[in-house]
This record gives sequence, structure tokens and C-alpha cells, in this order.
Amino acid sequence: MRGVLDYVPGNTILHRLDPRTKLLISLMICIAAFISDSEIFLLGLLALNLLFAFIGGVTAQALRMLKGLSKACVFMFILQVLFIQQGEPYFSFIGIHITDYGVRTAYMVILRLLDATLPLSLMLTVTRLTDLSNALVVHWHLPYQYAFTVTTALHFIPVFFNDMQAITEAQIARGVSLDTRNPIKKIKLMIPMSVPLLVSSVKKTEQEAIAVELRGFNLRTRASTYKVPHMHAADAAALLLGAVLIAAAVLLNR
Amino acid sequence: MIEFKDFSFRYASGKANALQNVNLTIDDGDFVGIIGNSGAGKTTFTYAVNGIVPHHYKGDFYGAVTVNGLDTVDSKPEQLAVHVGSVFQDVDAQMVASMVEDELLFGLENFGIPHDQIEQRVTEALEEIGISDLRMRDLDSLSGGQKQKVAVAAILALRPDIIVLDEPTGELDPQSSEQIYSLLQELNRRGTTIVAVEQKIGLLCRYATKLLLIDKGCVMLYGTVREVLQQSSRMEEIGIHVPRIVSLHKELTRMGLVRCPAPVNMDEAEAMAKEALG
Amino acid sequence: MIRFDDVSFGYNDKGGTVQHISFTLKKACITAIIGANGAGKSTVSKLMRGLIRPSSGRVFLEEQDMAGMKVSQLAARIGFLFQNPDRQICKNTVREELLFSLQFTVPDRDRQAACCEEVLAALCLNPDDDPMVLSRGERQRVAMATAMVHKPELLILDEPTTGLDYRECTEIMDYVRSLNRNGTTVAMVCHDMEIVQDYADEVLVMSAGRLIASGSTAAVFRNREILDAASLLPPQIVDLSLRLGEGYENISDVDGMAKAIAGKGAKA
Repeated sequence: MRGVLDYVPGNTILHRLDPRTKLLISLMICIAAFISDSEIFLLGLLALNLLFAFIGGVTAQALRMLKGLSKACVFMFILQVLFIQQGEPYFSFIGIHITDYGVRTAYMVILRLLDATLPLSLMLTVTRLTDLSNALVVHWHLPYQYAFTVTTALHFIPVFFNDMQAITEAQIARGVSLDTRNPIKKIKLMIPMSVPLLVSSVKKTEQEAIAVELRGFNLRTRASTYKVPHMHAADAAALLLGAVLIAAAVLLNR
Repeated sequence: MIEFKDFSFRYASGKANALQNVNLTIDDGDFVGIIGNSGAGKTTFTYAVNGIVPHHYKGDFYGAVTVNGLDTVDSKPEQLAVHVGSVFQDVDAQMVASMVEDELLFGLENFGIPHDQIEQRVTEALEEIGISDLRMRDLDSLSGGQKQKVAVAAILALRPDIIVLDEPTGELDPQSSEQIYSLLQELNRRGTTIVAVEQKIGLLCRYATKLLLIDKGCVMLYGTVREVLQQSSRMEEIGIHVPRIVSLHKELTRMGLVRCPAPVNMDEAEAMAKEALG
Repeated sequence: MIRFDDVSFGYNDKGGTVQHISFTLKKACITAIIGANGAGKSTVSKLMRGLIRPSSGRVFLEEQDMAGMKVSQLAARIGFLFQNPDRQICKNTVREELLFSLQFTVPDRDRQAACCEEVLAALCLNPDDDPMVLSRGERQRVAMATAMVHKPELLILDEPTTGLDYRECTEIMDYVRSLNRNGTTVAMVCHDMEIVQDYADEVLVMSAGRLIASGSTAAVFRNREILDAASLLPPQIVDLSLRLGEGYENISDVDGMAKAIAGKGAKA
């Protein structure tokens, strides 16, 4: 998680788009990926995702995401290939057929998975959470309390991650064999560690609650927002692109 | 001005009073350093000023605390917050944004500062703290000392008359701690009242104007830095760290070698030694 | 005891990077690692314990390369006290907490119990207390106990006094000194120069990821150049002795200074 979904500062065209646009076009790409049955189109979407990553200066993040997803992909591929028995077998062993249909279906599922996961994750790397929540609160009338809860939760993920790492280190240092290779033993040892994590989380959230209360959280209204994002020509173009992608997905299926 | 009148407070979960019978006044323009052992009631004292007690933490509240004439029981924390800005020890837990600028905007937006004044407030606060270059930076990329400065800037932008800090240098090295305190001193000289809980008494001696010693919920000593240091034996009894140059002063005074008041910094310590040497 | 041979370590783009560190930790001494935030002190302390591995260079424990050792098993030889005790504490009583530490290194129940009794007495802890309701200073002592229950030859402290008041601080440090007198080697990362002055025999000075000086505490604190390079201030009495110049070179405590001044003053 860490370093992959974090915001990457920059001033590219993607950074400057209205957060609403980025949210919408991500969803549109997802929809197009689910509608389409054409592998060329799906491959094209993947290329488009990577192009976006390149434009936004987050290629490294995109590649790391792909690397992270690759394990899930391999797993799903094997599962699909083994379970789908229809079609012309390439070869068979102990009664299981590896078929052309199975391989193609598996391959399509993976492409869809990648096409649908990348856009939203990439969006987070080029959009500040504060800007996203401002846009949703001002334009889409999302109650600020909800927006704040979500942004704070996301904001705390790396903090808790650091905590978890420090706790693991502390436990290993006192002799708890968390550095074991046996996963079951490791999970068993991890359970008591939820105590220190819980203690520190509760303390942190308590502090945060006090701090924001004293900085006027309860006084906030929708009109308070200072930085209000607006749509520009580039946003319209991006949304048009999204619409074209969905249309193309539908048309190519015929 | 902050006034405590016969103030006592017991947390709903507590067995004894966290603070007991506090009567004191903090005047406009004071820089008060609060010292005391763990669990003495220092944090509770800051909570009583910014209204966290009794609004956030409930309990038995006796007597009265007024801040700029506002009774802290009758006023909501956010009303008090216009007068009192608070900075906490855990710097990560008080940040709400991912970028420095947004961190400053949060309070300004909430308190409904007119939008045409916001830009100026942000620029000025960053300039005063000397971190204008950090404005567009991600908070994650900053050091502990820089983050603490951002926390102070975010409070400063709201232009409170009083700033309350709870161990603002807890995690910082000596040099960054020094920087934070010289900043606070600068703000204080321009009229902001500062109340800071601090373990490093050496820092307070150099930067604060008054010291407040709390032990087991009671105010033991309260006065100018020199007045309090003059009573270093009381501090030793309680187990408070006495700066070495102050202990030396006590020793030299006992030997009848010096008449000067207790030194608060190294220059004064040097002068004291020269006096003793004749 | 511990020897660093040209050790480098880099977190990806974050602080805490160290470069080309070489030193030998003296046996049966208290060595302090000092320097500004981000100078790499904590990184060095974690490298010593094996919690992180050098990206280049080697760390030796008694002339054995630590690369091949299992980190959690090393607890029997190297204790580590973190600045925040709450990261270690996870059980309902102090005794369970100690047994949790021991379960992997000491299989025998009776021996476990014996180990616990000893350290509980030394740190004035009640085995039946719930660590969560203890004060911060007491929790720090519990954390200390979970490390010392292994009777390690080396104890590493990462800012052991942060968040403690002066009294709690001296309690912990006096215990550390008593361990040291009984032969335990101690390495500590510390921001408080008075503590370093009072307790450390040797210091390692770090600045921007490099080891810029090492030597006896007395010698390093009297070297302005080194302290300036590391953005540190000398302890007050040492500072005063430097200001007073000749005749005050070896004085670092209040009594010594008072006597010296009284002596000189009488002559004058």
C-alpha cells in the first residue's frame, strides 16, 4: 500500500483537472472495461492507463501497482484455466483440460481486473484528498463530516502503517519470533500486537478530535471552503474521452 | 488575560482532583513555562485554558476559569478558540491536511474568515514562522521540527491572543527545540501571551518570563523565572530538574561567594563565576 | 563487542540514511550516540540490533557477522529499549509480559520464573500490575524489564528518557548504570547532553548520516568544532569551564566547579 496510493506532488495536466473529472473518468474507464469483450480494446485501455500515468508523472507508481496486482493475476489465471473446462483442449492431465476458451476467458478477466483497478488508484496519486473532498462537498453537496471522516481515515493509513512497523520491530527486538517463516505461527504471534496498535490508534484519534474541535471543525459550513475547484475546457475534453470510450466498448461488442 | 479562581477539577474517571485549588492570573504578554513531574496536572492546566476541560473531558469542575473575560464553562471550545490557539505534543495527530497550505486553510475556513483576507493571513503566518518556502510542500516530506512549525503557523494564522502548547519539543533535538522557542519568544515580544508545558527547563529559563511549578495537582511556585529559580531547593525536593548553573549558584551563594540572582543563561553564569572569583 | 565495517544504509528517499560508518563499540562501557534529528542515530542503533540490514558493509557481534543471525533469537544477547514503551506492551499483567518475551529463548518454566523474579526486583515492579494502568515512567520500566529479562550482554537504548520527567529519567538511567557496573555493555541514542555527560563514558557523534567523531565524553564535549558541526551544545558546567579557560579543564560537575571557583577566589 505504502508509496503506491500516496499523492505524488506535481503540476501536470492531470494534477490540474477538477477532482470530479478525475473521479468520473476513472469510473468511465472501469465501466468501459466491464462492458467490452474485445481484447484489443482492453489492451488499448491498459495502454491508455499507462499513458495517463506517464502524463501524470506517476509511471513508477503505476508499475509498482501492476507488480502488486500481478500476484493476484497469476492466481486468478490459474484458477480460471483449471475450472473452465469448455472449449478445445490444448492438453489434458489427470482429467483436467486446459482449453483455448479457458485460457482466453482467464486472460480477459485479468485484463478487466487491471483496467478497472488502475484508474481509481492512479487518480489518488494525482489528486490531493483535500481537493477531492472540497469538490465533493461544494459541488455535490456531500456532508463535510463524511468527507472529513474519509479523508482523515486515508490520511491515517500511513501513520498506522508506520506504527505497525514500529510495533513489529519492538516485538522482534524483545525476542518474539515475528521473523519466522511459518505463516501460521506468525499470525498467531500477530494477534497480541493488535493491543499496542489499538492503544496508539485510540490515543491518536482522541488527540485529532480535540485538535480539530479547537480549530473550529463544528463551525464549518459548505460556504467555508476557500479553494473551490472549477471545470475547464480540459475537463470537458476528458469527460468526452470517457464517453467515447464507453461508446467504443459498446460498438466493438457487436 | 487568564484567571483561575478557586479552580479544582476531577476527571469523571479519576479518583482524586487532577488540579486542586488553583488561584492565579496570567497577564497579557506573559510567557509562562509550566514545569512539573508526570501526572502533576500540567496538561489538565492547558485543557482548562482552552476549554477541553470541561467540554471534551467531563468531570467535577469547581471554581471558575476566565479567558479574556469569557467563562470557560459557559463558552464553547470553538468560541474560546478565537482567543486561545492550542498546539499539542503529538504533531502527527493534529494535522488534517496533506499539504502545508491546506493545513493553514483548515482553521481559517472553519472560523469563517472572509475569503478576501485568507490569502494574506496564510502568507503572513508562514512568513512570521519563516517557512514560506514550505507552503506547497507535503507534510509527509517534512522533518519533526518543520512539522511543529507548521502546527504553530496554522494556529498563528487564526491570530489568537494566547497560544497554549503542550510539550511542543518533546520529539525534537536541542537545536530544533531552540528554534521553536525563539520563535515563540518573538511572537511573545509582539504581544501574544504564551503558555507552554515543557520538560526542558533550561529552555524555559532562557525564553519564558514566568515559571509555574505544579506538583500533585497543586500550584507550588508561580513567579518570574528568577523568583522561581531562587527557590531551587523546593524544586529539588519535588524532584524537578534544576539547571546545573542554578545549582552552582546555590552552592556559591551558600559559600558566601556571590550575591547575584540565579543565572538564567550561560552569559549570566559566566558573570556569576567572575563575581565569585573577584 | 559490536563492530561496524564501512556500513551504509539508505531508506528510499526518506531521512535516516547513514554512509560509511565504521567503529567498534567498547565492551563494558556506556556509549552515547549523539547528533541532530535525522542525523542517523536511530538507524545506527537499529543496525546494531539487526532490526535493519546494511545495504553495504558488515556488522559484527563479537567478530561474528550478524547477517546470518536470526534477529528475534538475538534478544538473548542484545536488549533494545525503544522510546515508546507502548509499542511493546500487549499483555494484561507485568509477569505475562515478561513471560511473553521469554517463551522463545528460555523453554524451561522454572528458569523462566527465576529470570522474571530477578528483573522484577531490580526494577521495583509488581508482577500482578496491569501495565496499561501504570504511569509512563513505570511502563518504561516494564519495557526495560522485557528486554533485561533475557540478561543480554549488550543493551541498546533509543532515546530512553524522552517523555519521562526528571525523576523517572534518573531512575531508568541509574538502573542502566548498575547494569553496566555488572558488566553489561550499553549503547544509547540520547538528545539530553546532561544525561550523556552524567552517564556515558564514550560518545559517537553523528551528522547528516556520517560518523564525524568519537572518543571519551569529556574530550568530545570540550571540542567546540565537533559540537558545532553536529549542532549540539555542551552541558552547562562544561560550557562554563570552557568559558573560564585555564585551570578549569577537567571540571564537569557542580561540586567540582564550586570547589574550583572557591579555591581560585581565595587565592585572588
